[in-house]
Amino acid sequence: MIENIELEKCTGCGICDVVCPADVIHMEPQPVATEIKGLRQTRLLPVIKFREHCITCFSCEIFCPEHIVDVHPSVKNRPRPW
Amino acid sequence: MDQLDGNLIDTDVLVVGGGSGGLMAALSAKRHGPPGTRVTLVDSWLIGRTGHTAFSNAWTIVALPGDDIDGILHEIVAGNDGIADQELVRQSLIDSHARLKDFEAMGMHFGRDEAGRYKRRPTRGLDLARVLYPEGGGLEFAWKQRLALEAEGVQLIDRLFITGLMRGASGDRIIGAVGINSRTGEFNVIKARSTIVATNAITFRSGFVRDITGTGTLLAYRAGATLRNAEFSYVRPGTPKFYFEGITFAIQEGASWVNAKGESFMQSYEPEWGDEADVPRIARAMAMENRKGNTPLYLDMSAIPEQLREYFIQSKVRWMDNFFRKLGDEAKTDMFGKTPYYALNQMTKMGIRTGADCRSDVPGLLSAGLAQAGCANHFAGFHIGLCVGNGWIAGRSAVEDLDTAPQPSLDAAEVRALHAETHQPLNEQGKAESDRILRDLQAVMFAYDIGILKREDRLQNALERVSTLSDEFKTIAAPHTHELVRMKETEAMLLAARFILGASLYRTESRLSHFREDHDQRDDNNWLVWVDLAEGGNGPAFSKTPIPTPYCSVVLPRRKPSRLAARQSVAGV
Repeated sequence: MIENIELEKCTGCGICDVVCPADVIHMEPQPVATEIKGLRQTRLLPVIKFREHCITCFSCEIFCPEHIVDVHPSVKNRPRPW
Repeated sequence: MDQLDGNLIDTDVLVVGGGSGGLMAALSAKRHGPPGTRVTLVDSWLIGRTGHTAFSNAWTIVALPGDDIDGILHEIVAGNDGIADQELVRQSLIDSHARLKDFEAMGMHFGRDEAGRYKRRPTRGLDLARVLYPEGGGLEFAWKQRLALEAEGVQLIDRLFITGLMRGASGDRIIGAVGINSRTGEFNVIKARSTIVATNAITFRSGFVRDITGTGTLLAYRAGATLRNAEFSYVRPGTPKFYFEGITFAIQEGASWVNAKGESFMQSYEPEWGDEADVPRIARAMAMENRKGNTPLYLDMSAIPEQLREYFIQSKVRWMDNFFRKLGDEAKTDMFGKTPYYALNQMTKMGIRTGADCRSDVPGLLSAGLAQAGCANHFAGFHIGLCVGNGWIAGRSAVEDLDTAPQPSLDAAEVRALHAETHQPLNEQGKAESDRILRDLQAVMFAYDIGILKREDRLQNALERVSTLSDEFKTIAAPHTHELVRMKETEAMLLAARFILGASLYRTESRLSHFREDHDQRDDNNWLVWVDLAEGGNGPAFSKTPIPTPYCSVVLPRRKPSRLAARQSVAGV
């Protein structure tokens, strides 16, 4: 399951969003520090929006050009036949 | 009041689904069509990077010149206990060499020896068939095909989730589909003269990276198509801790299924094939061992030589490589130590009934990939092998139909109704609850004494539980597009569950992955038939269709495999 994206190193390219087969990551405007106090500024950055739907395919991690996505290999909630 | 708002796309051939069946269908339609033929391929996510094929290792059964095609056909038919479209399987094998050359022309590389001959491996459950595997696994296999389609002028639309098929003003044929952008929810109407549904099978989200819900099959049913093979499934050994795509290799290299007492049990269930038996037969044996109290069960890989072990850790598939690298020593301990296995990853073999030309019973509607009901057991390598084969055929048939297909004419009332139906569950105040219903559905369908060892009373009971869940489903809503898509998928899975249980009750014999404890013998006199289902006015009506046997008898004995070493080979150039 996806654990973390190091947003401080993120360039905002959006590849992780595009390659996700489960609609887990959404690029959304995020507040960032601005040069002048009082002005609000946002950048499009990835948000792990539906973590519970991650299928642990590692695509975001594999295709991230900055290598800042971390997917943990644990598999949770698998149905069992017995 | 539902306000119609959206885009209209006009095309000649619409292909729904971007796996190996859909990718090949789109390529075939473009190549067989006259210049200017408009081909559009849509997928709910990113074509070439998502879907079953992209996450597979892309093993593909290929018959090279000189191979015994009729022999391979015989063993596939026998391995299906007769439930195979012989014409379609044979044609897919005949075409497979030409498709291999197509793949190479797209820049794919398949393993070769120093002399330039293809390196080939046998696959589990078959003796004569050989698989080839492209470098880079499914991610490269699917992506190179996407690039080739773009170069050939196929219109690719990512993130378009199809929610309905259209019959248009005349009402006598399918004239395209409607759907929503799976992120924004924007409505799209796609007008087409031929529509190919290639949306895979249904897995009930059971497996790792197999988030496949096969909604297209159910949309085809609602549009009047007949479905087939709902009683058969692909139940694969799995573990709770990790996902392992290398079981076939492991067994070929000496791994063995053992029970809690340390007994190697496959020999007693499958005397000829033992551990090399194919998936449905292993799953049944595992369920039997569980019933005897012999669980947990293990894949004992201790017989695999040390020098080969790293191979299983360093997978050729990129996501699996990440997976095992991150697990580190834990993976080695688990894989070569004792991790319990059970039979999981149910994928129904239900598909759309078509002829060997991939045309369904509904004019204008064709099918390819695993959405098409060509086989009930695909082995490792024939999932993709048959998808490539039927994709090629479906694309050609779709183009042939363009000569006689009338210009489609939209029916405004139908489009409005589909628009309203698509958006009906949306409610910003709603709570996302489809996951809860899906978990309950999984609990019903994955129980080993429902999904693997079947009996009338238990199937009836399961049917009632699915009916209760379906009623509950009608009360939930979707607060956003993400949940709307999940809901549509869950709705399809509820319907699929009903069909699977109904078909399992209908076939009163045992065959392949369909094992009825109360009818535990294979009955070729009465059941050498396909079980078909179509809307009968008040739910599905089941019927039998005799299976044509133009090339081989379906009561052939299964061959005992020769030794692995003798079956590994190089051939062709």
